[in-house]
Amino acid sequence: MLPYLLKRLLLAIPALWLMATVVFLLSRLLPGSFASERILESSAGYYSKGTESDRQAAYQSYVRRTGLDLPLFYFSVAPATQPPDSLNQIYNEPRQEQLRKLAWHYGSKHHAVAYLSSTELLERQLQTYPDASLKHHLQILRAEVKYEHLQKTAKSAVAVASNPQVKQAAEQVLERLQIMQQERASFAFLVPQLSWNGRQNQYHQWLIRLLQGDLGTSYRSSRPVLALLIEAIGNTWWLLICSMAITLALALELSILMVKKKSRFLHKLLLPFLFITDSIPVFVLALLLLVLLANPDFIQLFPVYGMGYYSPQQLSFWQQLSQWWQYMTLPMLCLVLSSLPYITNQVYASIHSAMRADYTRTARAKGLAEGAIIRRHVLRNSLLPIITIASDILPALVAGTLIIETIFAVPGIGRLLIDSVMARDYPVLIGIVLVIAAFRIIAFLLADLGYAWTDPRIKQQLA
Amino acid sequence: MKQVWQNIVDLWRRKTAFQMAAGYLILLLLLVLVLPWLPLPYGPDKLDYAHTFQPPFEPATAPDEARHLLGTDGLGRDVFSNMLYGARTALLISVPVMLLATLLGLILGAGAGFYADRGFTMHRSSLLVLVLGIICFCYYGLYLPIQITRLGLGATALAASLITGILLLMLLSGFFVLLHKRVTFFRKRLAVPVDQIVLRLIEGLSTIPRFVLILVLASFLPPSVVLLSLILVLTIWTNVARLARAEMLRIKQLPYFEAAKSIGLRANQLLLRHALPNLAGPVLVAFTFGLGGLLALESTLSFLSIGVPTTLVSWGRMIANIRSNTSAWWLVVFPGGFLSLTVLAFYTCSHYLTQSFSKNSKG
Repeated sequence: MLPYLLKRLLLAIPALWLMATVVFLLSRLLPGSFASERILESSAGYYSKGTESDRQAAYQSYVRRTGLDLPLFYFSVAPATQPPDSLNQIYNEPRQEQLRKLAWHYGSKHHAVAYLSSTELLERQLQTYPDASLKHHLQILRAEVKYEHLQKTAKSAVAVASNPQVKQAAEQVLERLQIMQQERASFAFLVPQLSWNGRQNQYHQWLIRLLQGDLGTSYRSSRPVLALLIEAIGNTWWLLICSMAITLALALELSILMVKKKSRFLHKLLLPFLFITDSIPVFVLALLLLVLLANPDFIQLFPVYGMGYYSPQQLSFWQQLSQWWQYMTLPMLCLVLSSLPYITNQVYASIHSAMRADYTRTARAKGLAEGAIIRRHVLRNSLLPIITIASDILPALVAGTLIIETIFAVPGIGRLLIDSVMARDYPVLIGIVLVIAAFRIIAFLLADLGYAWTDPRIKQQLA
Repeated sequence: MKQVWQNIVDLWRRKTAFQMAAGYLILLLLLVLVLPWLPLPYGPDKLDYAHTFQPPFEPATAPDEARHLLGTDGLGRDVFSNMLYGARTALLISVPVMLLATLLGLILGAGAGFYADRGFTMHRSSLLVLVLGIICFCYYGLYLPIQITRLGLGATALAASLITGILLLMLLSGFFVLLHKRVTFFRKRLAVPVDQIVLRLIEGLSTIPRFVLILVLASFLPPSVVLLSLILVLTIWTNVARLARAEMLRIKQLPYFEAAKSIGLRANQLLLRHALPNLAGPVLVAFTFGLGGLLALESTLSFLSIGVPTTLVSWGRMIANIRSNTSAWWLVVFPGGFLSLTVLAFYTCSHYLTQSFSKNSKG
């Protein structure tokens, strides 16, 4: 048994690695980074109070911290016109965008860099020798790509400039613009170039850190991801385990009630009820319960949100537990109700088929009471499919927990996941994905152990 | 196919519950299609600041104003018209997505079941063309067009990239046709393990729960209906594929299919004429069931406002308004009830269809 379990665990590692890799690469590959949304926006948010140079400094430290100035993977395929990633550290995102546009448009990254740095020189000269009439020109020179428009603007800038230093800078801009146009290769991007980046890439460094147990820091709160996960996982764990235990126990009891001959009417009543409950989406169910049971307009049975308040003195264990129960009852009720129909159905089918087996008939022929038959003979034999169901239901439960935690503001993994999705906080996202996947693998292993425990024949097959 | 239709007609005649559910769904579909021409007093996005959080069934305040039948939300949007338009959005997203996902799942699942690991063979040259062609397509058909539209290089650049891609593909295939004739190495046939590939794909997609997968993928892309639909199609095809594969394996064992094989029919005839009609029933069941689940999924995503733009009228968006005022029960009860009723109708249909088809395959 042990070698088999070890083999399963070892086989799970490549799957985990592959998934984390895919999520990491996708998160870095697609446009719209966290930084452009948070740090560089000047209208609102935490960073908007600083000056332009402060924001630039914050951005550069962010780029260095996250390794965005390195190439993404061991190799890269891109046209030769694509500017290298190391320039990310010098230019902020709008400049990077402009550089990329120029490079692709004129087919040469060197000329594009030269042109862009000449406009930067012009900007610096304008800062020392302010000239209001040239502000507009500079803006166009830094935002446009079309040659005619740029040339006209540069020429008029040379003509308008009164200060000799500024004039010189403007002439340089015009000169570099003309060089760029002369050596223009519009369709240079059609030729791909394969380049080898070696170990100095984002993926390699991330992977090494991951193997050392460092999941990185959250973009949002700058706290280690591991600490965030540990903080959140406790709540989710208890919510999940308690509701799963309750659901399984309820499903078993209900199924036993339903297979008994006496309670036919219950069968007729319960199955449609479960069928209807099944078609109510979890979030609607949760909100309905919230509106009904935690609302001063109807029945205020439970507190609405969160996990309780911090009390000044240390609560005893029992007090803590009772407070926890108050806040957790409604989320648990929701989770149980949403997963009960499926599980009850499956358990009922499994018990029902065991009821028709020969050994049940024999037990009945011996004159055993119906309750004893079910509990002693039928239940043990139908345990095997129930274990499969219990491990299969986990994904649905996890999905349910995400929504329920968000609605009831329980600070668990699910809420952390939704918040990180909203904020595009990728390190946390990768951490959560890894935790969920590992959790699932462990569940499958436990299910395997459960099979071996209920049916010794399986144990012999596996060994 | 005829058999499937016969079954449905039969169910319609005998089961009142099926009749009710199917009738409701047909009416809903009609309503959704003619909705833009219906005279509703308020549009779904019409803001009415004079009546925010108005409870339902209240009389109109002014004689010349239409009343908000089912109340309003925090911005004075009419719940009734949002409910109807929400149904429209939900169905217009879910039905095409489910159709595409079913098609994809059917092709992959039936293919995997039919060909297994050794049944599908290719010439080495065609395989090489395929691999190189995919690489070519990724660069000229995906990467360059995306970059070109992002950087605003214009239509000529786009055309140049696509034409280069097509030319390159033609050159490639021409070159390999020549090689195929000359070199024996390229004429050998290679078995493509279709079954293994499809099974691994399904396994990979189900390593983490589907809802988490969809959330994670949606976080990478800007909120848009088209992209979200794409994500949904690419993640939910696995259910249909699993079912189609299992059914295909069952059909392959049936005597009539072996007979058809033994008289030397070609693979596509076997698949299309003999396997597909028998697959239609189970796939229809999976389709209706999946549609119900998809409606719930779509509303959940719009409730969390993940993956969909906030301007999209939907049940989820309306229900999400309750967060700012928990005593506004009508925001949950009406759209939520409508949603649950629709899901229930789909599940009921799928339940009866399952019963009818399982009876069929037994007798």
